[in-house]
Amino acid sequence: MTWANDGNNPMIHFSGVTKDYDNLTALRDITFSVEKGEMLFVTGPSGSGKTTLLKLIYFAEKPDGGTISVAGWETGLLKESSIPFLRRNIGIVFQDFRLLQNKNVFENVAMALRIRGISEKEIKTKVYETLKAVNLRHKADVFPRRLSGGEQQRVVISRAIVAEPTVLLADEPTGNLDPDTAEGVMRTFKEINAKGTTVLIATHNRELFRNSGRRVIKLDMGNLVAEERAQ
Amino acid sequence: MTYAVILAFQSLIREKWINLLSVLTIASGLLIISLALFTVYNIDAATKNLPERFSMILYLDNDIQKEKVDAAVGLLKKNNAVLSVRYIPKEEALKELKATLKNSSYVFEGLDENPLPDAIEVKLKKDAVGQETVRKFAGEVMKIPGVKEVDYAEKFLSTLNYLRVGMKTIGLILIASLGAGIVFVCYSTVKILFYRRDEEIETFKLLGATKAFIRTPFLVEGALIGTSGGVVSLLGIFAFYYIVLLRLSVSMPIFKAILFPTDLFLVLPFVGTFLGVTGAAIALGRLKY
Ligand SMILES: Nc1ncnc2c1ncn2[C@@H]1O[C@H](COP(=O)(O)OP(=O)(O)O)[C@@H](O)[C@H]1O
Ligand SMILES: [Mg+2]
Repeated sequence: MTWANDGNNPMIHFSGVTKDYDNLTALRDITFSVEKGEMLFVTGPSGSGKTTLLKLIYFAEKPDGGTISVAGWETGLLKESSIPFLRRNIGIVFQDFRLLQNKNVFENVAMALRIRGISEKEIKTKVYETLKAVNLRHKADVFPRRLSGGEQQRVVISRAIVAEPTVLLADEPTGNLDPDTAEGVMRTFKEINAKGTTVLIATHNRELFRNSGRRVIKLDMGNLVAEERAQ
Repeated sequence: MTYAVILAFQSLIREKWINLLSVLTIASGLLIISLALFTVYNIDAATKNLPERFSMILYLDNDIQKEKVDAAVGLLKKNNAVLSVRYIPKEEALKELKATLKNSSYVFEGLDENPLPDAIEVKLKKDAVGQETVRKFAGEVMKIPGVKEVDYAEKFLSTLNYLRVGMKTIGLILIASLGAGIVFVCYSTVKILFYRRDEEIETFKLLGATKAFIRTPFLVEGALIGTSGGVVSLLGIFAFYYIVLLRLSVSMPIFKAILFPTDLFLVLPFVGTFLGVTGAAIALGRLKY
């Protein structure tokens, strides 16, 4: 499959998407778009469906109704074997980090490149470069459990951006961080976005987008209740 | 590919107890297979020359004429299954008998007539010595004019048959079932390793890893476990030969006759590799992810 998103199509498009878990409807008839190069926030209280919405974007969950297209790839038309290649266009900052505990910081970040079969030499250059950008170059040999929450968060961000994805998804990226660290993380996202990456951030913390002028989508109990620009 | 090898080695070290257990199980299985092969090989070698000793005796009619004997000998010599034919006149038979029973010559006292019949001794070619062929041959021979009776060691044939066919069958069954057992051990090991790395594999997938990237390390690991098992069993069988058999043969010379098929055993590591990869492939084929 080729890169189909070369027109003016949105980077991400949800059309009447519904997602059910057992007998609970996590998302109901959701329709929205994220434009290429945009930085967009998804907000709402805990349990409102933010994580589910992100999972649908990276095909970790399948919708029960409606269609989703991501960077020109469409659910329903997507073959199981194509999913890895779709995911390589997406960098993900997981809410629960998903760091490999038996691998050090360098190896954790490098993994995003290893699965793509990139050469050892290039891996070294890129990983150190990315770690430097998030101020973790000196922790390259440390294992995740020896890092603070903020440092782990930055490792996850490094792994998400090291392969220069087209789309960056972040799930509660400032979840357990102190305000200063949170501000640093947000600055990193703004820089990545300024370079052309489409960024989508799910957060229950309204402080993150206050006065940002970015588009915000509000969820409540699985419904899209508001779509507005943060003032 | 190279990274798959690194991941496989990392997992080997991390899960060293499970892997060690598998390697030892595989090694024991292969060792038993080797011992079975070893036994079959030696029985085969030992019984290979036994048929040469097999002979049939054809007893001829009393007072048979010379021409009839010559005709019978000529007929026998033309038969494809026959190796050699020897005419034993009754005088010679008696002489031979007397020679064997030298110490009990009183048996022959007062014997003024030779009680033995004339006979022909027939030796068969090696591949003609079998229960069925001999029975058929005996039937044919009985039709030759002048032949009164055919005598041969049935027991010998059935024992030979039992040794060669029976032992080979038992050996093959043992090898097949242990081979399947080894595949199963590798299969279970890879499955356990896979489930223990569930989290990690899920993360790899979310990062965009293909099935091949995830599977290859397990195949490599299966191969490494199988090969290690093969190498250990190879060391085991050599130890068995050099420490046990060679020592025994010093005090009991019969063990000197035992043959050690080195070439046969040198393939053990490769057999291990093959069985290991097979087990791993089956495990991965059955996993849904
Ligand atoms: N795997 C799952 N199985 C069943 N229910 C789930 C699962 N994941 C999430 N849910 C439920 O779906 C709803 C939305 O969850 P989630 O998307 O995680 O919300 P948020 O990220 O906004 O907190 C919640 O009620 C949650 O309990
Ligand atoms: Mg969530």
